[in-house]
Amino acid sequence: MARSWLDYRTEAWVQWCPGCGDFGILNSIHKALAELDIDPKRLVIVGGIGCSSRSVYYIRGSNVHTIHGRSIPVASGIKLANPELTVIVVGGDGDILGIGGGHFIALGRRNIDIAVLIFDNAVYGLTKGQAGPTLPVWVKTKALPYPNVQGNINPLLLAFASGYTFIARGYAYHVNQLKDIVKAAIQHKGSAVVDILQPCPTYNDYMTSEWYEKRIYYLKDEDPTWDPAIRSIDEYRVKAPRIVEKMLEFGDRIPLGIFYQDLTRETLEDRFEKLTPGYLSSPPAKRPISVDSKPLVHPFKLFKDKVLVT
Amino acid sequence: MIDLNLIIGGPQGGGVESAGQVVVKAIVLKGFNVLGTREYHSNIMGAHSYYHVRFSDGIVRALRLPVESIVALDAESVLTHINDLSERGFLVYDIDTLSQDATRIASMEPSLRRRLRNTFNSLGLNPTVANAIKILEEKGVKTIGLPLKDLLKKVSAEIGAPIASIAKTVNVIGIASSLYMLGFEPEYISKALELQFGNRPKILKPNITAASIAIEYIESNYGKRPILQDGPHKGKRRMITSGNEIVAMAKIIGGLSFETFYPITPASDEAFHIEENKYIEVEGVEKDSIDKLSIVVLQTEDEISAINMAIGAALTGSRAATSTSGPGFSLMNEAISMAVEAEVPILISLWMRAGPSTGIATREGQQDLLHSIFSGHGDTPKIVIASGDHIEAFYDTLKAMNWAEEFQTPVIHLLDKYLASTITVLDEPEIDPSIVDIRRGKRVESPGDNYKRYEITEDGLSPMAPLGSTTMIVSSLEHDEYGFASEDPIDREEMMKKRIRKFETIAKSIPESEKLVLHGDIDARITIISFGSTKQAILGAIEELEKRGIKINFLQFRILSPFPSNSALDVLSRSERIISVESNAMGQLSLLVRAHTGVNIEYSIRKLNARPLYDIDIVYGVERIIKDNVKSVVVSSGS
Repeated sequence: MARSWLDYRTEAWVQWCPGCGDFGILNSIHKALAELDIDPKRLVIVGGIGCSSRSVYYIRGSNVHTIHGRSIPVASGIKLANPELTVIVVGGDGDILGIGGGHFIALGRRNIDIAVLIFDNAVYGLTKGQAGPTLPVWVKTKALPYPNVQGNINPLLLAFASGYTFIARGYAYHVNQLKDIVKAAIQHKGSAVVDILQPCPTYNDYMTSEWYEKRIYYLKDEDPTWDPAIRSIDEYRVKAPRIVEKMLEFGDRIPLGIFYQDLTRETLEDRFEKLTPGYLSSPPAKRPISVDSKPLVHPFKLFKDKVLVT
Repeated sequence: MIDLNLIIGGPQGGGVESAGQVVVKAIVLKGFNVLGTREYHSNIMGAHSYYHVRFSDGIVRALRLPVESIVALDAESVLTHINDLSERGFLVYDIDTLSQDATRIASMEPSLRRRLRNTFNSLGLNPTVANAIKILEEKGVKTIGLPLKDLLKKVSAEIGAPIASIAKTVNVIGIASSLYMLGFEPEYISKALELQFGNRPKILKPNITAASIAIEYIESNYGKRPILQDGPHKGKRRMITSGNEIVAMAKIIGGLSFETFYPITPASDEAFHIEENKYIEVEGVEKDSIDKLSIVVLQTEDEISAINMAIGAALTGSRAATSTSGPGFSLMNEAISMAVEAEVPILISLWMRAGPSTGIATREGQQDLLHSIFSGHGDTPKIVIASGDHIEAFYDTLKAMNWAEEFQTPVIHLLDKYLASTITVLDEPEIDPSIVDIRRGKRVESPGDNYKRYEITEDGLSPMAPLGSTTMIVSSLEHDEYGFASEDPIDREEMMKKRIRKFETIAKSIPESEKLVLHGDIDARITIISFGSTKQAILGAIEELEKRGIKINFLQFRILSPFPSNSALDVLSRSERIISVESNAMGQLSLLVRAHTGVNIEYSIRKLNARPLYDIDIVYGVERIIKDNVKSVVVSSGS
C-alpha cells in the first residue's frame, strides 16, 4: 500500500509560531514524499540551524541536524558516499544563502543529486528578527532599530550562475502547488533548488502574506507554453535570456514555478562513475574495506612505483 | 661507518626537488639507509630552495649539519649555505657565479643579504661568491668549480637540442659531480635517473648525458675517485616514501573510502597521493565480483566544507577522513564540535606548519598541539595522536581510523611539515598492515525500528547504524536517546555523562604502551619529553650524548588526548631533571604535562626558526642546560 502523508510525520511537537509559513512548507514536503512513495528509511533530510532546519525532527527519515550553514556539505558527503539515498536539504535563507553561501555556490558547480529547499523569510527568526540575506535594502522590519542597509541576494540568479540544474520558486501557503514543485525538485537528477517564499508573521511585518499575495503569479498561468526544460545547448541558447529575465523579476510582480531545468548536465555521481566504473554499485558506504578484519591490499604490492630493488 | 650529509641548493621550480629525489634513489640503490628533506619558500619559481640528504649504513634518524657536500649551482645557494659546510667537505659550484654579490641577489631575503654583507665586511671583503670560495678554502673545504656553461653546451651538442630545452640538466650535472666525488659508480646515478624519469624518455636522455659529461669532467680534472663500498642493504626490495605518501598509503590500506581536502601546504600532497591511487585492484572480495574499488577524493570549496562533507560520508558508514594544516584546522573547529556532539567517526590528519596565522606556510612548526586538543567549543573530548616518524605515521593512521569508528569520535592525527616532505626508505616488515586489524566497533547494519542512535550504555558507546538503514536522527543539538533535540535537564545531564563515560572507555581501551613510550634507561636521571616528529632527532642526540658521558632517557608522548597522566607521572617522578623539546614558543607540551600531572617542566629546548630539529640541536641544548645550568635554550641552526 502506498504511503500517506501522515506516514511522514513524527511525534515531535512542531515548535513554530502560530501562522508560520513553515507549516505550509512542511505539509507540502510530507505530501510530496507520500506521492513519490519514498521509503523513510532511505530518505535523508539534512538541516542547518534555524526555525526551518528543525524540519529534520518533523519529517520521518534517516535525518541529520547539522550546524549553522553546513547542511549542504554534510548532505553532499552523504549523497556521494551513498548515492542510493534520497537527500534533501532544508534550511532558511540565512542558513543556506548567508552563512552557508559558499557551500550553496559549490553545490551548483558539482550538480550532486540533492534538492535544496530554502524556507525564505528574509529574517533570522530564532535570534529575534535580524535582517536575512533576502531582505531588501531600506526595509525596516519591526525588530530592526534602523532600516536594513544591506542589499538582498537573488537566490534564483545565484543558483543559475552557480550551475544548479533545477531552479524553482514556491510560496509557503500554496501547499498543493508547492508540493508539485518540491516533487519535481526531488525527482530531478542533479542539484535542485526551490526558493520558498515564507511569511514570518512574528518578525517580518513587511513581506507578509498580504504583501506576497498581491505580487505572486505562476509562470505557467501567465504563459501556458512556459517550459523550463533544457534538452540541448541550442534550446539553452534560445530559452536562457527569457529565463534570466523572469528570475530578475522581483518587485510588483513575483513569478512562481519552475524557472529552469537543465536535463543535459551530468551529475557528480555520474562523473565519478565515468572515472572509476563501479563507483555507483559499490559506493563508499557499501564497499568492503577488509576481509576477516585484514586489509584488502598490501603496500608493497599496491604501491609498486615506490618499491625498488637495491 | 658511513655517515654523510649533502645539500643541493637552487632556485625553486628549477628541478632541485627532482635532483634530491635522484640522489635519494642512488643512495638506496647503493645499499644505504637515507633521509632526505626539502626546504623551500612559499613561492612557485625563483626563491631559494634546497634538498638535504643524510645517508648511512646504520639507522638515519635525523638530518645533520654541517654537511660533507654542497651542490650550489647559483650564487644564492653558495652564499646561503656558507656556514653549512664541514671543513672536511666539498662544494660544487658554477664558475660563472664567482663575481656575483649577495647584495645584488634580488631573490635573497633582505635580512640574509645584510647579514652576509656585515660578516664579509668585517673580514674586509665584499659578499661575493669568489670571496665565499676563498673563505671556504681557508677553512680547508675542497671547492669544485664547474664550467657549467661549457658543460651544458656539450650536453646540448650531444643530444642535438637547444641549450634552453636542456638547461634543467644543470641539477644533474651538479648531483652527478657530487655523487661521483663521494664514490658512487656512474651506473648507480644512471639507474637512479631511470627510476626518476623512466616514463619520460625526453627528460631521461639529456639527464643521462648530463650525468656522464659531469663525471667525465670531474674524472679528468680531479682524477678517478675511489669507489665507495656498497651499503649493507643490497639485494632487497625497499620502499622510498615521504610522510605525506605513507599516510596516504595507510589510509588506502585501512579502507578509507572518502577523503576531502582544500589545498594547503603541507597537507594536500597527502590527498593528491590518495587521488593518484583512488582506483585500486583488490583480491579476495567476493561481493558482486568486484575487482576494482574506488575512493571518493574531493577538493572542496574550503576546509569547513571538507570536514562537514567527510562527516556526512562517515554517517553513511564510510571510512572518511580529511587532511589539513593549521589555518584549515581553525576553520574546522565548529564541525569538530559537532562530531563530538553527534558522535561521528572522523579522522583529521593535521599536518602542522609554522604559525601563527599563515606564518611561514612551507616550514616546520609544532604549534598546534593545544589547538588540536582543545579544538571545538563546548566540552569536546577527542583523541589526539602524534606520530614520531614514518613508521609510526603508518600504523597510527590505521589505528586512528579504527578508533574513530570504535569510539564514534573525531580523531586528530598530528603530523607536520618535516614528516610531510621527508623521504625515507623502508623494508617490507617495517610496514606490515596485518599487524593492525580493521575494527569498526558497535556497528549495526539492520537496526530495525525504534532505533536509538544515542542509546545510554555503560561504556558510553551506542550501537551505530548507518544513515539509510532505518529512520533515525543524528543531531548536533543536545538530544535524547533517539536524537530528538532536547533541552530537558535530565536528558542533558545524561548525555553529558555519556560522552564523558565514552572518553573514559577510550582511555581504558587504548593500552598505555600506545600512549607513551619511554626510550632508554628508566634510571637515567635526565628525561627529555617531547611529541611528534622530534622523536628520531632526540634518539640520535641521546646516542651522541651517551658517547659524551651523558645518560638521558626520552619520554615520547604518543597520545596526547586522553592524556596518560599516571604513566607519565610514574616516569617523571623518577627523573631529576626534565627537559621538554618542542618546536613551539609556548612550551605547549610542558603546559599540558603540568596540567595533567602537576609536574613543572623546568627545562626546555625550543626551536623557533621554522627549520627542522637536528640531533645536534638537542646535543647542544642538553649540554648548555647541564654545563651552564640554563633553563631554556633556543636552538637556531638551519638555513
